[in-house]
Amino acid sequence: MSGADHIILLSGGLLLVSILAGLVSSRVGAPLLLVFLGLGMLAGEDGLGGIVFNDFQGTYTLASIALAIILFDGGLRTPLRTVRAAWAPSLALATIGVLITAGLTGLAARYAFHADWPTALLMGTVVASTDAAAVFLLLHQHSLDIRRRVAATLEVESGANDPMAIFLTLTLVELIAHGGSKGLNLDADLSVLAMELGYRFLLAFGVGASFGILGGMLLGRLVNRLELAPGLYPVFVVAGALTLFGATQVLHGSGFLAVYLAGIAAGNQRLRANTLIRRFHDGIAWISQIVLLIILGLLVTPHTLGPYLLPGAAVAIALVLVARPAAVFLCLTFTSFRLEERLFIAFVGLRGAVPIYLAMIPVLERLEASQQIFAATFVVVLVSLIIQGWSVPWVARWLDVQIPPAPEPTNRLDVNLPSQMDREVVGYTIKDGSGALGKTLAEMKLPPGTRLLAVLRENYVVPDRALADFKADDYVLLISPPEHTMTLDRKFLPKRRSEREKEMTMVDFSFPAAAPYAAVAAAYELPMAPEDQGRSLADVILARLKVAPVRGERVRIGEAELVVMEMDGVNPSAIGLRLEPPPPPQAVTRLRSSLLWAHRRLGLGRLRLRRRRA
Amino acid sequence: MDITSLISPESVVPSLKATSKKQALQELAKYAATLTGLHERAVFDVLLERERLGSTGVGNGIGIPHGKLPQLTRLYGVFARLDRPIEFEAIDDQPVDLIFLLLAPESAGADHLKALARVSRLLRDKSMCEKLRATSTADGLYALLVASEAQAA
Repeated sequence: MSGADHIILLSGGLLLVSILAGLVSSRVGAPLLLVFLGLGMLAGEDGLGGIVFNDFQGTYTLASIALAIILFDGGLRTPLRTVRAAWAPSLALATIGVLITAGLTGLAARYAFHADWPTALLMGTVVASTDAAAVFLLLHQHSLDIRRRVAATLEVESGANDPMAIFLTLTLVELIAHGGSKGLNLDADLSVLAMELGYRFLLAFGVGASFGILGGMLLGRLVNRLELAPGLYPVFVVAGALTLFGATQVLHGSGFLAVYLAGIAAGNQRLRANTLIRRFHDGIAWISQIVLLIILGLLVTPHTLGPYLLPGAAVAIALVLVARPAAVFLCLTFTSFRLEERLFIAFVGLRGAVPIYLAMIPVLERLEASQQIFAATFVVVLVSLIIQGWSVPWVARWLDVQIPPAPEPTNRLDVNLPSQMDREVVGYTIKDGSGALGKTLAEMKLPPGTRLLAVLRENYVVPDRALADFKADDYVLLISPPEHTMTLDRKFLPKRRSEREKEMTMVDFSFPAAAPYAAVAAAYELPMAPEDQGRSLADVILARLKVAPVRGERVRIGEAELVVMEMDGVNPSAIGLRLEPPPPPQAVTRLRSSLLWAHRRLGLGRLRLRRRRA
Repeated sequence: MDITSLISPESVVPSLKATSKKQALQELAKYAATLTGLHERAVFDVLLERERLGSTGVGNGIGIPHGKLPQLTRLYGVFARLDRPIEFEAIDDQPVDLIFLLLAPESAGADHLKALARVSRLLRDKSMCEKLRATSTADGLYALLVASEAQAA
């Protein structure tokens, strides 16, 4: 049938064009998601394609699947150490942060759109969650090496706040739509309403979290137990994730939370066919991404956006400049993030497909103001993608949150051994600039538990005894415990010497993490607190940070700065000393002093209060 | 912090001969001893103690051994260009062929750190290192090190 053929031609073509356009966009630095969205709009009714597409119901279903897959994939690639480094701030941002953002943005929407309170709050809620996909892509696309804990917080937050925003949106929509009919009754006692809301919240997140974690672990077990054709493992995993999503949703849990946690739980086990599963997921996450944004682009009718452009932009600006920073600063009050890091986290609250997806819910529920909400959301997302998406690399540089880039493991081969074996086989081609060039095996000082399997040179295997040193284009195969593969990367991969690395002031001296702090402090006039006596450099950093350290972490000590240079598993192994850390940008200094001033004023206020009570 | 206040043409060694880190430090201690009038052994011990904390081989073939000595009255620097690169336990495992030795009085405090930061910044400049490696006379090396001052200022 020609109808089907046309659809296939169209979808295939759109996918192809998207991928190619993505290639171009990374050259010009345009946010990839914006390109996909733009392509969808271009293909749509007001664009060149002229495709009229208004199937909200179908889109919603498809988008749910796509989102579930993206979140699951996001979980899969989130190592536990990322979660460990960032769970507390991320959790605060994903719960209270979403509420604050939603409330403040709602306030802005009320005035920008002259909307009634429920509609305005719904608008605020819909755009309250940062987009996991957008954040991941943005950080990776510009190959930004952001300080690990900042990046980890942004990543975990963006995955974890989607379920919260979805829950809030559904609840609000229900409150507005069937205010009097179903379980939620606006006319009822406030306490009854609060009870009902609390019950639903617990149900959604309790069921979601427990199903997610248990389901993810079970999924991992099953993969390791079942004997399947290799190609079926990834499919099995996706099927499992979608089943888990559906089952959780049917039981009124948050399916999105479930798949995200399931991804983390499954991804941090040693899985059989690990590489296959990851590659496959990489692919379908991309497809989901592209499909989601193109369809959303198709769905919108650009010429109807006109009247919403200005108020939408106003809401977007309120969101970026007021609501998000307020939420971030409040949620991160008790963390050890520096002011620059807080500012960066506040700035990278990117909105992506999730808000548009959420904006479909009011449309499906036929809320009165649904068209307004959908249009406004679309404008907010566009503005966010354009402004934030484009400026992030610049802002990262300005706020000095970047870290020296890690060697790129692109020249590394990973072979996955049967599960439960705590070893990985890795392979490297020795290239120009590699630290191994010209070294003998003994000089390489391989990490413990690591063994050289073979060296391939010009199509033959170099016999152990004949191996004098490593030469260019040698192919080296090693077997190693997984925690040491980063160390191997450093030893065998060429050192990337980018402009940025040069320009970023590196540390002056570096020390083993176990070096006694007292000795270092004495040599470099660092302040010595009594409790630092007997501590190693690593201990001092840990005591100052109060959270699991990650590579690139910096701690100001006196005039100098200690930097975590290398990690061995979860512990710092090398620590650098920067004698003259660069001063923060002037604007940041000014902001810091005005914040301090405000803080003092607040303190004064509290003091007065106490006095009055006395 | 002026490089000129740290080194003079006499404290530049254009081709130091050493086969090991220990030997290089010994040789440098000898030069430092003649400059400062201190005991060679005292200088060497201070340097060795600092190296035990972590190598001062900062990468890219650069070594910046340093230490504090109570008997000194001011900062002293010795710059050496090695005949042949030597193993220095540097952070990047690369052999070292340019060494800037810095000795400070116990009381130097902030000046010591400023000088260290200055030296470290100077030798982090790759083109500077290339020029230093291509120069074989003491006067030439001194001129290069001092000329950097004008650019940096």
